[in-house]
Amino acid sequence: MSTEVSTPAGRVLARPAAGPLRRLVAGLAGRLVAATPLTWLVLFFAVPLGYVVVFSFAYATFGRVTLGFTLENYQEALSGFYVTIFARTVRFAVQGTVLVMLIAMPVAYFAARKAGRFKTFLLLLLMVPFWTSFLIRVLAWKTLLEVGGPVEDVLNGLHLHSGQLGWIDSPTAVFIGVVYAYLPMAVIPLFVAFERIPAPMLEASKDLGASRWRTLWHVTLPQARPGIGAAVLLVMIPMSGELVVPALLGGDRGVLYGSLIQGQFIQSANQALGSAMAMVLLVVVALAIAVSSGVGRLLARREARA
Amino acid sequence: MIDVLRGRRGGAWSDRALALLAAASLAFLFLPIVTAVLYAFNEGIDGRQTVEFTGFTTKAFGDVFRHEQVMSALSTGMRVAILGCLIGTVLGTLAGLAMARARSRTLRIALTVLVGAILVVPEVVVAVAILLFFTESGVQLGLGTMVAGLTPYPIAVVALIVRSRAVALDGALEEAAADLGAPPGTAFRDVVVPQLRPAIIAAAILSFTFTFDNLVTASMLSTPTVSTLSSYLYATVTKGGVTPLAYAVAALMFAFTLVLLAVAGLLYRWDSRRQGNSGSIVKLTGGDG
Repeated sequence: MSTEVSTPAGRVLARPAAGPLRRLVAGLAGRLVAATPLTWLVLFFAVPLGYVVVFSFAYATFGRVTLGFTLENYQEALSGFYVTIFARTVRFAVQGTVLVMLIAMPVAYFAARKAGRFKTFLLLLLMVPFWTSFLIRVLAWKTLLEVGGPVEDVLNGLHLHSGQLGWIDSPTAVFIGVVYAYLPMAVIPLFVAFERIPAPMLEASKDLGASRWRTLWHVTLPQARPGIGAAVLLVMIPMSGELVVPALLGGDRGVLYGSLIQGQFIQSANQALGSAMAMVLLVVVALAIAVSSGVGRLLARREARA
Repeated sequence: MIDVLRGRRGGAWSDRALALLAAASLAFLFLPIVTAVLYAFNEGIDGRQTVEFTGFTTKAFGDVFRHEQVMSALSTGMRVAILGCLIGTVLGTLAGLAMARARSRTLRIALTVLVGAILVVPEVVVAVAILLFFTESGVQLGLGTMVAGLTPYPIAVVALIVRSRAVALDGALEEAAADLGAPPGTAFRDVVVPQLRPAIIAAAILSFTFTFDNLVTASMLSTPTVSTLSSYLYATVTKGGVTPLAYAVAALMFAFTLVLLAVAGLLYRWDSRRQGNSGSIVKLTGGDG
């Protein structure tokens, strides 16, 4: 791998003793370095996805799946109850991502640029939830949001709500849960993005007479755009496939599309329909990525012209 | 002068608002964690968790260690996480190096596309795919299938971290090693690996926690006999409701994570001090991408 020497003269000088055997070994080692992870990932990621593609077109009959080609599964996946839940899931993912970004951007900006000597400490605090088990963090909301639980008490105490809180086992609890669960995912890349902006650049903007908001809009945010894009995708994609939060907080009323996909494989044993539903989700995620990278490129081009 | 003053006053106002928001967010982030730890000491009623705090007890913590299924799930979870950590770190590092350096363009592109795909495909899709793959190809689910199903994601994350580090490596150092007569293997071990060490340490911690904490794939691939601690807990609380025991396990896991992070932080600081560069915790997050 690392046998390349920059100048032809260097190569001759460097390795007078490099026999063909040693070169063969080095070449083989280099190829093994790439081939081992590649084989593993193809076998345990690409091939299984291929199975999903094949099964999404298969015929499903009473607990059995016969391979073939039909679009029935896709029709079913895009109709009735399934499409209602799918729409809710997309709405949650979009609204949840917007809310997460509205919280995470100022927090990450503060931690990265305004916290002074508390910067490292603040980042550590922000990382603790990121490293803490997802299950624990979501599970505790079950107690917090329960009827007669702490959140109800506080809201009643502040006169923001009166009587019982009906959030648990409903889409509201699921929404709170996903926003909570993915907030740390957004904070970390945003922190890195804001921290990397060179201070002289912001000072230059100020010296040239730009107001704080103008600097924020025309210097800080464009500079942080790759990080912002990454954070949006890091939050929106897992949210669109989320199934743990609905299982813990949503009850029967709060299911999301991810829960339905899993259900087709576990309870219903209709792998064909489940595969088609998985494909629908996959296509929508791919579209979202394409749109986001398109928007990023468009904005970058507009700036280059300005 | 007035401008400066106004600017500064405006700055103080918005900075204070930002500080307030950061504090509120931290409270929001820690509220459930504190709740889980607190309620681990709740007595509950008939072994069920209750919203009312019925009394302070440490009984649940003792129960954790006497609970056979929890202990067996813990041991499976640890075994899976250790294997996942090994495979994730080694294969991820190799993949990252290959993405940065492989001579063959096809290999580089193939790996980059695969790694990118793994990072963006929603986990539920990956989980049902791997379950479908194993059941349809007649493979019995067990510890091996669990590890196989859990590793692609950590491998991809590790590959990205290592790649960003490897791209930034100074090639002159390796050339110098070669010029001094070091065979490629030696140059790799003594020159490349030490430079990648911070990335590899971060990679190992990430791989371990990802495989240990995983819920979606782990519960898809779990069987009555092979179930990780996270997937076992997840299954019990979704079926039988929350118990003080579940919160006690959660609190212990949280304490374990804190210890692990502290050890990692110390190791990292020790390592970077030895290497003579200033350590930044940002690097531990994989932030040098």
